Amino acid sequence: MKNGKLHKILHTQWFTLLVVIIVISVVTGMVNPRFFRLANIINIFEQISTLGVVASGAAIMIISGNFDISVGSIIGLSASVMAMMIKAGVPIWVVVPCGILIAIVCDAFVGFTSIVFHAPSFITSLASSSIFKGIALALTSATLQTIFGKFSFLGSARVFGVVPLMFILGIIVYLVVYFILKLTRFGRRVYAIGSNPQAAYLSGINVKGSKMLFFIINGTLVGIAATMLLSRIGAAGASTGAGIEMQAIGAVVIGGTPISGGKGGILGTFLGVLLMGLISNSLNMLQASPYLQELATGALIILAVAVSALSNRNGKASM
Amino acid sequence: MTNNEPILSAKQVSKTYGGHCVLDKVSFELHSGEVLCVVGENGAGKSTLIKILSGAIRPDSGIIGVHGGTYSALNPRESMQLGIATIYQEVELIDSLSVSDNIFLGNETLGRFPLVIDADSQNKKARQILDMLHIDIDEKMLVEDLSAAQKQNLQIVKAFHQDARVLIMDEPTSSLGVEETRSLMQLVHDLRGRGLGIIYISHYLEEIFEIGDTILILKDGEQVGLYPRADIDVNFVIHNMVGRDASMFFVRERVPIGADQIQVENISWKDAVKDVSFNVRAGEVFGIGGLVGSGRSELAASIFGMVRKDAGTIRISGQELSINNPKDAIKNKICFITEDRKKYALFDSMDVQDNIVIIHTEFGKSPLLKQKKENRLAKSMIDKLHIAVDNTEESVISLSGGNQQKAVLGRWLLNDATLFIFDEPTKGVDIGAKEEIYKLIIELARKGKSIIMISSDMPELLSMSDRIGIMREGRLIKILDNQRITEEDLIHDFIGI
Repeated sequence: MKNGKLHKILHTQWFTLLVVIIVISVVTGMVNPRFFRLANIINIFEQISTLGVVASGAAIMIISGNFDISVGSIIGLSASVMAMMIKAGVPIWVVVPCGILIAIVCDAFVGFTSIVFHAPSFITSLASSSIFKGIALALTSATLQTIFGKFSFLGSARVFGVVPLMFILGIIVYLVVYFILKLTRFGRRVYAIGSNPQAAYLSGINVKGSKMLFFIINGTLVGIAATMLLSRIGAAGASTGAGIEMQAIGAVVIGGTPISGGKGGILGTFLGVLLMGLISNSLNMLQASPYLQELATGALIILAVAVSALSNRNGKASM
Repeated sequence: MTNNEPILSAKQVSKTYGGHCVLDKVSFELHSGEVLCVVGENGAGKSTLIKILSGAIRPDSGIIGVHGGTYSALNPRESMQLGIATIYQEVELIDSLSVSDNIFLGNETLGRFPLVIDADSQNKKARQILDMLHIDIDEKMLVEDLSAAQKQNLQIVKAFHQDARVLIMDEPTSSLGVEETRSLMQLVHDLRGRGLGIIYISHYLEEIFEIGDTILILKDGEQVGLYPRADIDVNFVIHNMVGRDASMFFVRERVPIGADQIQVENISWKDAVKDVSFNVRAGEVFGIGGLVGSGRSELAASIFGMVRKDAGTIRISGQELSINNPKDAIKNKICFITEDRKKYALFDSMDVQDNIVIIHTEFGKSPLLKQKKENRLAKSMIDKLHIAVDNTEESVISLSGGNQQKAVLGRWLLNDATLFIFDEPTKGVDIGAKEEIYKLIIELARKGKSIIMISSDMPELLSMSDRIGIMREGRLIKILDNQRITEEDLIHDFIGI
């Protein structure tokens, strides 16, 4: 019985990921001992916290059979508006809720159009992405809104003088999403709808209403990510956050969630995000060309897809 | 009309699936210019026979003869090359291409330049072929703009153009109107005159007697006989299609039947369900029979709120229910075990436990999952229904059809309902699991539940039902007390002759 459980763990995708992460760390550390310095490790965790928040939302989306590729544009719009408000002297405690609310409204729009027009959310989010970006460009007149020093608390704070506050925020988001997915009835709906929406409907699940909520939750997380990003960079424009949606989808897939939905989880997503951050950091440490980073990320996603295709063929469920 | 050599023949062809013989030593000969009709109930082996001839499956034994050559099995490519064309409904045509492009697909006529298709000459030739077969379709039209009947005609034309010697048509008229059926009959007649051999399968016996030269009757995989049309009549065919041994029937226990519990009144939905009313008593199994397309499943879908019915009321114990979606139906203690398990019931990326508890959890009070309770409930259903699994975390798609069906049943049993609607409860289920499902249905009846059971399986309908409602063209035309009814009576009512 115990052996069976161990066997099962050894065959999950997250275990493979963990091994890969350890191997890369050890190799990089041997070549460049600076890798293992506390400052560098903290740096990695800080860098991946925003991606982690976005990827947690992407995990809910993908498991439920949806896609949101407007995330980057929503972050750009939300962060730009927040930066403009801060510049205008609006207090932070008003700015942040407004920023998050903008992200929620944007994502709700993507979900609403997908539900009402029976269109795949991939398409409605692709179209919405242009709209949000256009609005952000118009509002900012395509200029960068700088707020240096006015909202750096979130991005630079260290708990106990060591752990970045951003990282702790990221971990809290992972835990909340884990709780939702694995321990609540609502989380069960995410899997059921992603697995077979018709069967979910016939089992009495309000498919449309649930789907709307998935987008609202994703919007909330995107809003939080926009806030984190703004505080860390100290400036925002329409292209802030561009491309993060693809990295997030990549991290979810690397973490063993199939693109077809219906299964997967947050632990794999966390490791997927970590692996992406680690590879980018390792390549820096090994003084590889920055162009290689893009290449490595892409190759990694293909590799993950291949691994999950092969394990599916063997009839093994991931996580 | 028959000249010497048959163009297609089968000798003692058999096929067994998992110990169950679906086709048992079937033999026939098809000659040039002959229409051979194959009749039989669902599960008689008609589709298996077609699949063997078109090369989709291998027979276990027997010989297939084509143009003097003999084969122990065909593959789809061989079958096509030997001139056997199977007409399916709406496949194998490319919607975005024109009628003539589709006819010439794969052997296009090239013009003066390499790789460039000579559209003019293709269109001209296509027109000639269409005219020759008296088919009134514009050769330049896109296939996506054609009606279902025209698409079917086009497939036939395509097969004809590719020198098919044998055409196999499986229920070609099931989705056609009266006029379209008439013109299809004419086309079959034409092709026969041109020397093609045609295998024609249909539930509609009038058609069979209109165009068939010979009639092959199958029953439960066995060949009842091969008759020239002139020698037999409709009654003879019906009599021989049905009428099984007593061993085919499940002997159910009788349970006490109470007062009216379910009242369905004047339900209509689009053209599929027309003003249907009936009652079901507590402890009663109300069977619903009819041909495919008679509106049986649509009736169930209307009751369950899967589609928004246009009119009608449903009462349980006198109380009128307001049902707009499945959620309302489940809240009002109605269950619907659908016909298409894969499409409408299974969550194939989830494990057995999650598949069993899904409805219980959805309608439970707590927004949090109770893992231990879920596990206990799933285990109780696995034990009660004898679902063959190693553990509750096993993936549901790794189970056999029978076990999948039991898992779906378990899902509904956890929800203590009043009305259970079964649509083809034992479709794709092995014999052992079949009996268990029957016993379970009777168990529900004993507890005073009302059961509506839609079935195409005659022995199932006759052995399980207390009363049988017969649907034809969307109407519930009569309700029979299940006493001394025979399969023959039912078939007569189903097709209305």
